[in-house]
Amino acid sequence: MIERLIAAIRSRADGGDAVWRQSEHTTVGFESGRLKACGVTEETGINLRVVKGGKVGVAGTTAPDVDDLLSRALASAELGESVDLVFPAAAPLPQVPTHAANAAGASLERLIAIGAELVSRLARPGCQINVAIEREIAATRVLGSGGADAQYGATGVAVNVDLARFAGDDVLFLSDQYQGTDLPAPEDLDALVRTIADRYDRALTVVQPPDGTLPVVFTPQGLSAILLPVRQALSGKVVLQGISPLGAKLGEAVFDAAFSLTDDPLLPHRPASRPVDDEGTPSHRLPLVERGVVRAFIYDLETAARAGTKSTGHGSRGTFGKPVVEYSNVVVGKAEPGAGSPVLGGGLVRGVQDGLVIDELIGVGQGNVIGGAFSHPVALAFRIERGEITGRVKDAAVAGNVYDLLKRIGGFGTDGRWLGTRWSPSLLLEGVSVARR
Amino acid sequence: MKDRLADALRASRADFTEIRIERTWSSSVSFRGKRLESATASEDQGGFVRAADKGCGWGIAAFTSIDQLPAMVHRARELSRAVRLDEPIRLAEVAPSQAEAVLDLDGDVRGIPLADKRRLLEAYNGEMLAVPGVVDTQAVYRDEVTEYWFGNSEGTLLYELRPEITLSGQAIARRNGTIEKGLESIGLRKGWNSAQHHAAGFRTVAERAVALLDAPTVTGGTYPVVLDNELAGVFIHEAFGHLSEADFVYENAQAREMMTLGRRFGRPVLSVGDNGAAQGLRGTLPFDDEGTPTQDTPLIKDGILVGRLHSRETAAALGERPTGNARAISFRHAPIVRMTNTYIANGQGTVQDLIKDITLGVYACGAFGGQTLLENFSFTAAYGRMIRDGALAELVKDVVLAGSLFQTLDRIERIAGDFQWNQMGGGCGKGGQFPLAVTEGAPHVRIEAALVGGDVPA
Repeated sequence: MIERLIAAIRSRADGGDAVWRQSEHTTVGFESGRLKACGVTEETGINLRVVKGGKVGVAGTTAPDVDDLLSRALASAELGESVDLVFPAAAPLPQVPTHAANAAGASLERLIAIGAELVSRLARPGCQINVAIEREIAATRVLGSGGADAQYGATGVAVNVDLARFAGDDVLFLSDQYQGTDLPAPEDLDALVRTIADRYDRALTVVQPPDGTLPVVFTPQGLSAILLPVRQALSGKVVLQGISPLGAKLGEAVFDAAFSLTDDPLLPHRPASRPVDDEGTPSHRLPLVERGVVRAFIYDLETAARAGTKSTGHGSRGTFGKPVVEYSNVVVGKAEPGAGSPVLGGGLVRGVQDGLVIDELIGVGQGNVIGGAFSHPVALAFRIERGEITGRVKDAAVAGNVYDLLKRIGGFGTDGRWLGTRWSPSLLLEGVSVARR
Repeated sequence: MKDRLADALRASRADFTEIRIERTWSSSVSFRGKRLESATASEDQGGFVRAADKGCGWGIAAFTSIDQLPAMVHRARELSRAVRLDEPIRLAEVAPSQAEAVLDLDGDVRGIPLADKRRLLEAYNGEMLAVPGVVDTQAVYRDEVTEYWFGNSEGTLLYELRPEITLSGQAIARRNGTIEKGLESIGLRKGWNSAQHHAAGFRTVAERAVALLDAPTVTGGTYPVVLDNELAGVFIHEAFGHLSEADFVYENAQAREMMTLGRRFGRPVLSVGDNGAAQGLRGTLPFDDEGTPTQDTPLIKDGILVGRLHSRETAAALGERPTGNARAISFRHAPIVRMTNTYIANGQGTVQDLIKDITLGVYACGAFGGQTLLENFSFTAAYGRMIRDGALAELVKDVVLAGSLFQTLDRIERIAGDFQWNQMGGGCGKGGQFPLAVTEGAPHVRIEAALVGGDVPA
């Protein structure tokens, strides 16, 4: 079908490209410790982009009518702006394993068994355990009038666990996740159980939060609020709009000399890895920040054309809408998969006299993210006193500016791990405002 | 299609089967600054089957190839049979309905050329760009019409035509290193006619973004806080509405205790409800996605917890009646307990009455967003004004309200008589389903004391 589409592009438009994706998504859900539902979603979709008279149009469909799709894309192009898109030529693709036969072939019973094991290992008196196992098998084909023609298969497995405990009006909520192309190995399940168990034990004691400007350990989970403004600022699209605080800082040392950030779509067996992006640009590893110095921004074809540069291979497409600029796997520091120890705080706690470990904040992404300022109440945080974690704190809020905080990093933890598409250890940041309420 | 659906139901060997089929035509236009980002039309279609055999859990099959419907009905039953349950799934009784409900399309968007939609949005975007100090804008127009079929093995068979339209604008103002934004958002379950005459709103948010450049960050601390209608609505959705969703409590004894009907949740001034049957609002539909008619459900009455939101399953588990709150964002998802149009009921007096005896406080207006994590919530006001000696004073920014639900609800001490529904776009997210069309409504509300984040004093 997609070949027919490319032939139609050649005859009715000046150029274009398309992504065809077929996926089967299986979900097994345990609610309150009980297997409750099994589901399958089968989806096939095409996202088409055409260029006609220099103008770009986009259309998407899950319906099988290819002619209608092309007509809608051409109608979109009539209104479109002119962009000088250069569709990639055919090129040899890098090798990256994205498919695990073991995951693709796993039976429903196998997925249920993983969930049942976790439910029994996580059970605590008075706690509600939810576990969801998801497995996706996908086939992707990317074709363009420049000659690019790539296809690859991928698998993805996600295991999400959460524990809720209610004691009067105190609600404790803990969660963790595994993601990979393959089924979780025994040590992956062990890590999930240890993460929850360790936090649970420490959370049972509730202590007063501290107050003032203090050192704070942000765990890999807790780092989301700190990294979000930087991720936004390194997007070529934001740079192009003139609102990135890093837009004019290429080659400048903006962060601590120990801070590095890399986008790497070629890491084996990570769910965001792929040999090409969704516009046919071959994947490669891209250092964004190296030892504190801003090295690169990410671009797709359109933002690259507008910025007068080349795509870095970061075009991402769903079935609907135009391609967007998106990261693949983002690595903070150096990825050493499997090397991390799951100790809360990654060994950074013992150097702190009075401070916090932040594991989750509320409201990340709200407000004025791009400027770097943040202010969030804590969802899950622990107090550090004289180098020890003394208990869980509630009713506290933290605030600061990530560009100030990341100028001087107090330490990198030994607990580096994957969390979805991000790899990072804990970071110790000094001078965070902590308020009690 | 109705016949195909009825045939598939008849052919199902499961003890309970429900089927949804959806066909959605949508179009969207977006501008970034002066530049058109995209103008596109999409077609999305698919089906959803949910089946349960006796003694088994749910089996679910969702698919984009509607031709596969009979095979998917079979598959859903097979999946159900893989889920052995000690306690069977029970569904509360709902009288079967056969209905054709075509909501007021108010100017069918499918007949309007994409070029007209572009022109409309360009004009609104132009309003924002014309404000001096605005360096960047983002404007999005989106519409859709969904043909919707629902049927279950108990005899319910529905056809609906559901329209939706949203407009949003973001103005970015920048001076030296300071960046501020203003957001406009309009969302209605209506059509093309309701997208007209919104220029003033776009201009206002752009002017505010510029004004915020000179505004100081609010000094963090605990203040008496007056919420405007919009923020009070977002507050009740975020801070209380999610806890009233019965899937949160129905399998958890401790949570149920926390949410025991009859518990005092606030002072007698506070009444809260959720009304999926209110006329013409974004969260309004005649039936939910289990075929239950929507209704006005009281949740808090005179400060006392009196009700909660249900699917058929949660209602049966708790021995209560279904409320028509089982909703799914599309055929790709199972219905889960969600809000519709959530409100704080009207009180008395004016906003002036709430402000006049406050010596030092914050008037928090508009919403950039909100999140609840069980009993803790955080939401970000679009802007604020200090209240000094009973009058509104200077504009302040970075007004983030945070707190515990129980404390904060209990500190709502006065409610004005100026109720208003929000007509915002965006939507609610839960369980991976985002954005669901909901709205909120409220009068001005005064909280005796709330933590306002911002510049946290060291």
